[in-house]
Amino acid sequence: MSQAFNCRDIPVTEQTETGAPTPEEAPHVWFWRGVRAAVLSVQGVVLFASFIGFGGLIRDVGFPLGAALLSTLVIWALPAQLILVGGFAAGSPIAVIALAVGLSSVRFFPLVASVMPMIRGKSGLGTQLLASHYVAVSAWVESIRLMPAIPVEARMPFFFGLSNVFVLGSAVATLVGYLLAGTLPQALVNGLVFLTPIVFLLQLVRNARDSVDWLALGFGLILAPVFAQFGGAYELLWIGLIGGGAAYGIGRWRRTRA
Amino acid sequence: MSLSDPIFYAYLLVILAGFLPTDVFRFAAVLFSRRINEDSEALIFVRAVATALLAGVIARLVLAPSGDLAGVPLWLRLATIAAGVAAYFLFRKSVFAGVIVAEIAIIGGAILFR
Repeated sequence: MSQAFNCRDIPVTEQTETGAPTPEEAPHVWFWRGVRAAVLSVQGVVLFASFIGFGGLIRDVGFPLGAALLSTLVIWALPAQLILVGGFAAGSPIAVIALAVGLSSVRFFPLVASVMPMIRGKSGLGTQLLASHYVAVSAWVESIRLMPAIPVEARMPFFFGLSNVFVLGSAVATLVGYLLAGTLPQALVNGLVFLTPIVFLLQLVRNARDSVDWLALGFGLILAPVFAQFGGAYELLWIGLIGGGAAYGIGRWRRTRA
Repeated sequence: MSLSDPIFYAYLLVILAGFLPTDVFRFAAVLFSRRINEDSEALIFVRAVATALLAGVIARLVLAPSGDLAGVPLWLRLATIAAGVAAYFLFRKSVFAGVIVAEIAIIGGAILFR
């Protein structure tokens, strides 16, 4: 899946062809190379398909289109957006949704912390904070894969080119999904709305690295119908804390025993 | 413009319950990214909670959908998930294959059974 775009496709240095060494190429050249890398990326295809599904889903649950587009731009984390829309549909209190979203977004801490030293070069704090907003699983995966072949000073403009295509393309995909859900025949709309759960479930399965991940996934799936009966407003949090906590506890117990 | 207006409330939700609790961790990582150990106990715990949370959201979408999908019989929704997961493993852990098979199952099933 990750082989479709190869680092070798990017002309990393053009010194050899032009003869005269050009140690510092203009940042905008690298920005557009980042754009090209994003357009050719298979990761991008999966990403846009997921956001088309999200667009269909929000129409189905009655979440306003404008707020959904804004969520893609300013949250830029589909799991967090999904939890937010799910909480909205279930009528959960705003503080509960914020806490649930925060718990799902803590994972950005290690993602940003691991990619930032790679791309920051000599950029200032403001640029780095802005860049961190664009870090999500998609941009992270592609950065880790592509950055080593790119000169250090060119990495930040390259990253902005890459990640802006991902973000803006996802916003367009959200809109497309929403519009499609209003025009397609019913069976196709059902397929559109079903994209979100199946893509996410399979990605969780693919990303599961150890027994803690598998247990957390299984407990979350099993606890959902249980708490749907009597979970009330805190349903989501109970599923996360009890399911995740149990998975962590079992994992830790097994580690200390081994 | 009040909290009882669902459109205004949705925007408020996106900013206060979506943007802020997400980007606070991105910004914190920039400011404190000296040495983050991805295998620290706290991060293992948080990762487990986030995984269970997301799994719970997925299960809810399948078991108790709120919109048009509710018209698709429950057994068909569950069979679709099973078909997608089976295809994922049959086609050497391909997310793409799993999604395609699941889509065929749900769309075909919806045409035939709803």
